[in-house]
Amino acid sequence: MSMDSRADQSDVHALQEQILELEKRALDELNSVRDLSRLEDLRIAYLGKKGLLTSIMKQLGNLAPEERPIVGRVANRVKSSLLEALEKAKERISSAEEPELEALDVTLPGREPPRGHLHPITQVQGEICKIFGRMGFRVVDGPDVELDYYNFEALNIPKDHPARDMQDTFYISENIVLRTHTSPMEVRVMEKQTPPVSIIAPGKVYRRDSDVSHTPMFHQVEGLLVDKGVTFGDLKGTLTSFVHQMFGRETGMRFRPSFFPFTEPSVELDIRCVICGGTGCRTCSFTGWIEILGAGMTDPEVYRFVGYDPEIYSGFAFGMGIERVTMLKHGIDDIQLFFKNDMRFSMQF
Amino acid sequence: MRVSLNWLKEYVQIDVEPRALADGLTMAGLEVEAMERLGHALDKVVAARIVSVERHSRADKLFVCHVDTGEREVQVISSAPNLAPGAVVPIALPGTRLPDGRVVKETKMVGEPSVGMLLAEDEMGLTDDHSGIMILPSVLAPGTPVASALNLKDWALDIALTPNRPDCASVLGIAREISAVTGQRLNKPEIKIEESTPPIETLTSVTIEDPLGCPRYAAGMIMGVELKPSPFWMRYRLHVSGIRSINNIVDVTNYVLLELGQPLHAFDYDRLKENRIVVRRAKRGERFTTLDGKTHTLSTNILMICDGKRPVALAGIMGGLNSEIFAGSKNVLIESAYFDPLTVRKGAKELGISTEASYRFERGVDFDGVIRALQRALMLISKLAGGKIAKGYIDEYPRPLETPSIDLRIDRTNRFLGTSISREKIAGFLQALEMQTGELEENLLRVKPPSFRVDLTREIDLIEEVARLEGYEKIPVTYPAIKPSEEGDAPEISVAERIAEIMVGFGFTEVISYSFISPTSADMLGVEKQSELRSFVKLLNPLSTEQSVMRTSLIPGLLASVKTNFSYGERSLKIFEVGKVFISQGAEKLPVEKRFLTALVTGLYEHKSWYGGERFADFYDIKGVAEGLLKAFGLDNFFFRADETTPWYRPGACSSIYVEGKVVGTVGQLSSLTLKRLEIDQDVFILEIDLASILDKARYARRFKPFAKFPGVVRDLSVVVGRDIQSARIEDIIKAEGGELVESAKLFDLYAGGKISSSEKALTFRICYRSRERTLDGREVNKLHEAIINKVCQQTGARLREA
Ligand SMILES: [Zn+2]
Repeated sequence: MSMDSRADQSDVHALQEQILELEKRALDELNSVRDLSRLEDLRIAYLGKKGLLTSIMKQLGNLAPEERPIVGRVANRVKSSLLEALEKAKERISSAEEPELEALDVTLPGREPPRGHLHPITQVQGEICKIFGRMGFRVVDGPDVELDYYNFEALNIPKDHPARDMQDTFYISENIVLRTHTSPMEVRVMEKQTPPVSIIAPGKVYRRDSDVSHTPMFHQVEGLLVDKGVTFGDLKGTLTSFVHQMFGRETGMRFRPSFFPFTEPSVELDIRCVICGGTGCRTCSFTGWIEILGAGMTDPEVYRFVGYDPEIYSGFAFGMGIERVTMLKHGIDDIQLFFKNDMRFSMQF
Repeated sequence: MRVSLNWLKEYVQIDVEPRALADGLTMAGLEVEAMERLGHALDKVVAARIVSVERHSRADKLFVCHVDTGEREVQVISSAPNLAPGAVVPIALPGTRLPDGRVVKETKMVGEPSVGMLLAEDEMGLTDDHSGIMILPSVLAPGTPVASALNLKDWALDIALTPNRPDCASVLGIAREISAVTGQRLNKPEIKIEESTPPIETLTSVTIEDPLGCPRYAAGMIMGVELKPSPFWMRYRLHVSGIRSINNIVDVTNYVLLELGQPLHAFDYDRLKENRIVVRRAKRGERFTTLDGKTHTLSTNILMICDGKRPVALAGIMGGLNSEIFAGSKNVLIESAYFDPLTVRKGAKELGISTEASYRFERGVDFDGVIRALQRALMLISKLAGGKIAKGYIDEYPRPLETPSIDLRIDRTNRFLGTSISREKIAGFLQALEMQTGELEENLLRVKPPSFRVDLTREIDLIEEVARLEGYEKIPVTYPAIKPSEEGDAPEISVAERIAEIMVGFGFTEVISYSFISPTSADMLGVEKQSELRSFVKLLNPLSTEQSVMRTSLIPGLLASVKTNFSYGERSLKIFEVGKVFISQGAEKLPVEKRFLTALVTGLYEHKSWYGGERFADFYDIKGVAEGLLKAFGLDNFFFRADETTPWYRPGACSSIYVEGKVVGTVGQLSSLTLKRLEIDQDVFILEIDLASILDKARYARRFKPFAKFPGVVRDLSVVVGRDIQSARIEDIIKAEGGELVESAKLFDLYAGGKISSSEKALTFRICYRSRERTLDGREVNKLHEAIINKVCQQTGARLREA
């Protein structure tokens, strides 16, 4: 018995030694392995069903019952230590594998998705509408081919009035014209709606005028506000806010008296020339100022046409040329470019 | 209105720099559009006395002059005919830059040295006179700089007048505005005349037969005048204002027009039959020759000035050849009248004539200023041309005109402007503008505007004057409280914007074409005679036939862009336009305006790159755009059917687009005939969608659909069919036969050639079967799939494709 016992004793030690040695050898190999397939070989060799550690652990059954836990603990610790090393090795190999792939030429052109271009007029028109939209103006739409009544008469521009000279008109018939401004929309909206009214109307307008600085068709945005107690100061505030949002807070501007048959007092709004900064250049005819819009308090005569009482309501209207604003914004010096649809132009915006 | 600054200074003191004055005028509503320095280039031009004049020995037309320039005597060669010893003339010494940019050099002319250049008025930029060297006052000492001695340093101001301010169409009117703004006194020109006998009534008479057209007609006379050129100062001022000098009589009438704003006309008294004036309407068909030599046929709209027998002038527009002042004129009748603005305007428009006179009469002259202007003219004529002024004047003025009285409420003025200006200050502003202000109550001013302010008839007109004189820049900036609207933005515009953005996302670039096109564009597209695309809205006064009708289609505009871009070598285009077309409903009705999206592709759809080859656009590119666009709007329920009716497309390569059973547009390839007509040598593919037809559907909010709960089963169906069988037909059969268990059926392979005979093609569909209530079992799917296959084969003559 005692002999057995000694022999057992030495068996336990030998087994423990064997396990620790196996651990050492396995860790060495795991720490230095460089590819995943070899790693898998190692896993099978040590931890697989027929692996070394597994077969050692199978020998535990030969030990005395009281000795089994001692060796078992060692074996389990080694097993988890090897599993851990295996994981680490796997991570190390995976991350180490990438640099070995060929480097990309990152300077090759990417596969760019197709990209079109919105016409600059559309972009600026959208921007203008958005600015006034935020202030509470609603976008309305109306006809390009318009009755003389809406384009002139109801805007206090009777037939044979000198103010008709201000706009050279395309006629369709005696009573039908191509609208010369977006102002007819003011009357069309007021006819249908009682105050308060706050609208903007973007669209094409037409004047019989064609030279280097004029095209017979261009775009305008009209604005109209009618309510109780609207003042000339409100007109200044609304348009000042617009200029600040469109051209920047630092933009110098001035309101100066003008004349439109459908507003009184009438205003033209100039901003400091964006090209020369006010010192004078060709764009601003050496005045340092550029006119960007016409406006005014709606004339009581116009209210009479739509049945509003000017003693109760007041308001203002404004109209601006989108081409002009776009040219200033983008430094375009030739208005003809807008309608040539040359892609060398369109693709720049 | 172009005016000399020195002239303005005659009527009002101006202390500020010209630029500041221009700014001030602009801010008062008289926009100074441009300014020009005058006489500033003449710094080096000095007075010289002619010592001797001899004919050039070798050149007949040249004179050799010796002149004393103050510092020294120099020899100058000149061809001027008016050179005489003792005369004082301007000389530009070598190195002088003349107003036209020329630099004077020391030269030789036909062998004789010439040091400097004697100058005519036009060479100094003063007038357009080139008849001889300018003769200066003999008191000028040689060497005196001419510009400062003659006060020639000046500015011309170009003022853009608004149609409501005819009172400012005169130097005095502008001076009056300056006076009102600066507070400086206005010095009106003096009028002092010495009348002689006989009384004018013994010489002539005026009869107004049309008092509506001519409310007032005054006439004065001066006898025994001497016709000659006007003196330099007058010619200079007329020249600055852009009026040509004629003779001293006509120049005076123009000068007074510029000075006071009252147009005048000078008649040769002796050429007036019966020596009298009759104002009447023209007879229909009457012919009349104006002083520019043009003969007009008149209508009864035209108001005429006549003598005892015949017309002698178009009232308020232009005088006649038969009575104008000419070299032999001795006795002059001056007309100063107030003609009805509308009558003059209609007449001038009908005859297509616009003159300095008609411009002012159309807008309204000062009806109280008629006599003043008449007398000012008589005074100046007697000064420049001698003669004796007849005693008195004729003033036919049957019903005197009057300016209205206007009540101005102080509180309303301030409420309207957003200001708090005192009553005293307001009254002060109005008085500065020569208005009479009587106070009625604390809050009320009764205002009488002066006769020259025809624009002031209502309270609002006075409120504007208050704002103007207060200065727009002083009115406080406030922000209105805008009430939210119950309505949203116009859907036509927001849908157009959305479409444009989606198209840009698809790689298309937006174009904007003119709304007017050539009527021949319909022929180019081969549009049938009765098509509504020929219902053009025609312009009565187009700029050219190329732009004479409103477009009925956006295609011509896009094709124009194709040609523009081809012309410089860009042959691959993806472009679109969202815009209106116009369908006439007859000349007296507004047309129907419809918005369309029209897109066009031509050339390469995919360009060659390092990762792939190039590919030319084809029908399925443009069709895909249509599909993508409709899906983006949530219009999944569309289908395409071959279309044979659109004339510009290639038969067999065009299709109508249906949404919920209605045609909303077309896609197609331009036929070779169309391309030939348009001279385009490359395939072009076009998509058109009528926005109105998708507008309502596009606004409809999409409904969320719950995810499928049960698994789907996928089966492929691969058949060989005749080439003429359209894939949608098979798809329809699959869906009809499969019922609601077929969730989707998509064509994903098309094969022709190889083992397939040339009259056939192979189509492969991937069908997804799914039930909403349960998990389908394989046998059930197989049975249904089998049934579908049978149906497809039966109805289309298809057979299963062998694997
Ligand atoms: Zn500038």
